[in-house]
Amino acid sequence: MELREFFNRDLINLNLAGESKDDILRELIALLALDEKSQAILFKMLKRRENLGSTGIGRGIAIPHCRSLVVNRLRVAFGRKPEGVDFKAIDGQPVRFFFLIVAPPLEVSNQYLPVLGKIAQFAKDPDVVGRLAEIETPDQFLALLEQKAD
Amino acid sequence: MHPQLEILLQIQDLRSQRRELVEGEHFRRMEEEEFHINVEEAVRDLDEKIAEMKAALTPAIRSRFERIDGRGRAVVPVLNGTCYGCFTAVPTSSTGRHGALLTCEHCGSFLYILD
Ligand SMILES: [Zn+2]
Repeated sequence: MELREFFNRDLINLNLAGESKDDILRELIALLALDEKSQAILFKMLKRRENLGSTGIGRGIAIPHCRSLVVNRLRVAFGRKPEGVDFKAIDGQPVRFFFLIVAPPLEVSNQYLPVLGKIAQFAKDPDVVGRLAEIETPDQFLALLEQKAD
Repeated sequence: MHPQLEILLQIQDLRSQRRELVEGEHFRRMEEEEFHINVEEAVRDLDEKIAEMKAALTPAIRSRFERIDGRGRAVVPVLNGTCYGCFTAVPTSSTGRHGALLTCEHCGSFLYILD
């Protein structure tokens, strides 16, 4: 299982417009192209998770995640806000890179935890933050995922 | 979407998060170590929210919810015309009724049409 398998160009936004945590979450959810009601429920669930403790793990990276009935398979998205936004991250720093992960309540293949783990691992790579800041196209993001999987 | 279904969905989703924190040993460790959350506090918080959402159900739907709840999942998705609570086909005559609060004729679960 590789992270690259779960992403495609439509799931990547390198210039998020949002200025607040809520705006950013909504923009990330929009990348999944769900119907309006499902988006609203997913937003509430992600907010619930953030209220338990920010998913901003430091170094400018956040990994909002939850399980929800509104998706029928594991979904991911990546967003970048070059100037950063206050996400109440663990280190208090603004967050610039966002990995969204949403999984259905019951998955046959149980990918949620491994994907969450892989993204957390990817985010810890000392090289990654600099590279994520530099990429100019979604394809370059996909290439970075592939490269780091090797 | 039926407003009560919206609440039921949220209850079910909140319980998925709770179950994972309580029963998923690896998941719990990840939440603690990577995201620094206090699991005990988080579970308490989720319980409060679940109770709050349950209180927002009408008495009839709440009692139905509690009845089904002991046997299986109270809210299940319908994918490609199949109830994912009991894996039987849901008649298209019922899935076409948008805005109605649907239940499965076989397992009784509340249905959320995903397709
Ligand atoms: Zn059923």
